[in-house]
Amino acid sequence: MIVVKNVSKYYGNFCALNNITLELHNGVYGLLAPNGAGKTTLIKMLATLITPSQGEIVYDGKNIIHMDDEFRALLGYLPQQFGYYNNYSPKQYLLYLAALKGMGRKDSIRIIKELLEKVALSEVGNKKMKKFSGGMIQRVGIAQALLNNPKVLILDEPTAGLDPKERARFRNLLSELARDRLVIVSTHIVSDVESIANEVIMIKHQEVLYKDSVENICNTLAGHVYETTIDYGHLDAFRNRYTVLLEKQESGEMNIRFIHKGAAAEGWLSVTPSLEDVFLYEYRDEIRMEV
Amino acid sequence: MDIIYYECKKAFTSPILIALLLLFASYNILLIVSTSDRREELKVANQLAGKYGVGITDDSMNQFREDLQHDLVKLNEITRTDYSEAELDFFTELQLKEKYYEMANDIDNRYDQIDWEQIGESQINMYRFSGSAADTMKNEYIKLSLRFEEMKDNDEHKMWFFAGDPYKMHSFLFRTIFGHVIFESLIIIALAAALITNYEFENRTHLVAYTTTRGRRLMRDKLAASLLTATTVSVFILILTLGTYFAVFDYSHLWGSSISSALNWEYKLPYVSWWNISFSAFLIWSILLVYASMMLFTAIIFSISIFVKNNYFTFFIFAVFFAVALLLPGFIPASTNLIFIAGYNLSQLVMNPHMFLMGNSSGAMMFKNYEWITICAWTIIVVALSYISLRRFRKQDIH
Repeated sequence: MIVVKNVSKYYGNFCALNNITLELHNGVYGLLAPNGAGKTTLIKMLATLITPSQGEIVYDGKNIIHMDDEFRALLGYLPQQFGYYNNYSPKQYLLYLAALKGMGRKDSIRIIKELLEKVALSEVGNKKMKKFSGGMIQRVGIAQALLNNPKVLILDEPTAGLDPKERARFRNLLSELARDRLVIVSTHIVSDVESIANEVIMIKHQEVLYKDSVENICNTLAGHVYETTIDYGHLDAFRNRYTVLLEKQESGEMNIRFIHKGAAAEGWLSVTPSLEDVFLYEYRDEIRMEV
Repeated sequence: MDIIYYECKKAFTSPILIALLLLFASYNILLIVSTSDRREELKVANQLAGKYGVGITDDSMNQFREDLQHDLVKLNEITRTDYSEAELDFFTELQLKEKYYEMANDIDNRYDQIDWEQIGESQINMYRFSGSAADTMKNEYIKLSLRFEEMKDNDEHKMWFFAGDPYKMHSFLFRTIFGHVIFESLIIIALAAALITNYEFENRTHLVAYTTTRGRRLMRDKLAASLLTATTVSVFILILTLGTYFAVFDYSHLWGSSISSALNWEYKLPYVSWWNISFSAFLIWSILLVYASMMLFTAIIFSISIFVKNNYFTFFIFAVFFAVALLLPGFIPASTNLIFIAGYNLSQLVMNPHMFLMGNSSGAMMFKNYEWITICAWTIIVVALSYISLRRFRKQDIH
């Protein structure tokens, strides 16, 4: 079990994370936030790459910084930007990383073979990675994170570059892995975690906004999400009045999904909120800024 | 060991480093072979040492004189004008032997004319030393004078060696050849150590590598790999270069000759080593000093790399460090001993390999024990620097 206790991170006067407290058990946790909210900072602290300015992170009661290699032996980590050696093959690179993970050569060779099969890279195991697509590189990254059969698996934007088929395979792999370990998946793509996460952690303004099941988080908007159809000409006025989540043009009219926390008007259809609705609603300011 | 092997592999599979290694090795071989035209003449010194023993004694000189007279009689018997190849070789050899005889005969006379304390005074005036610096220099020349007298008493300088004038073999081997070896090794070592140390940051694999079980201890392996790579590079260049040198120039009877041999007098003053050491011992000490310097430079480059995390900046900063250390004594007033203390640096040391262990050098390098003090002092500095760098890296945030 990992406990993040009152952790803050400052860079000079800039606060990257403010007083975060979390308790994480075995299972999949989806860390959801738009870019810049502080999720990569939290992930890097969990991976011992950066140290908290305040507070501590403990694993089974021990500070992970003090545990040092003992903690990292339990850790599998895929960073957002997974680096690799251009002129190495996946096998060569994984052998090197296996050595860094303190694994014996014989075991490494066997495990690497199994993992390359798992991420569907067996046939290109000896090819230089400089010829690989983004999706293939990402799969090498997933394989390296699993090399030491980690108890804590941290994946930062793991589905970047994967095609829909690979994403589906990856989600199945994660569900399988999460049975006996703690998996943290950091993403800004809601669908990556919606179906597989036991709990979702949402960070807003450098603080934890939600840490709950997908169902409970969706329930925070229960009864406030509607769908309706309006004329195209009324769209701007509608946008100004309500928080629009989704717009779709259909037969010359606009099909709108939106949030309203008051009485429903005629013609509005109340719908069950999804995690994406909560995400779009909570981060509406950040998303507008990004647009 | 696996990790160190992987780290070394990164340097040895770098096309630039392999190309430089081959280029420098080829250049050294070419440089030696291109000067091999004097090898026939150089054989005479070897022959003399082989025939009369490496020491120049009264008995051996008498024997040498008798043999020379015998050869002169033989020369006078040749009355023809169309000489055979063998006869021409005989003339040349005889001429060289006579020259060596004269030089050997003249040793005592030439050495008696040397007054080191007076030379010290002129050096002090020339470099405008004053105050405590001038006193230190005076003392040093008094010590050198005593050492010179000791040498004259024990006749260690009376040994056969290649004539310093005109061949200058000591300078060729220990200044030109060693100088090339030092600079070539240094360039490759600087690039290799920076490459190994910065490899993860340059390839953006740092986030993966430093979160493995080995974690930031990987930097220690990188230091070990840098030192091992530096050793391999230095040994490769040294073996290839010196192997070629000694294959071209025959030293078979001169290994035991003194490095302070009076015949090895190349310029205005003879070489006077602080200790009675043979040519072979001097060669071994020179190799060890160069090797120790290379190891220390490697650790310095490693420490710079940890701070700047970029190969080119590391190389540039190291080049600046080397140049500043070399020029530093020139910026210090010649009235304090600080000018000599500033000279105890690795750049000054490796710039003059032909003056290793010599008392007739200039500046701090002429001091007895200069080499050991420089190496020991810099070992302490470099160990502290490496420790601080590793400790800093262990605690710093990695983004």
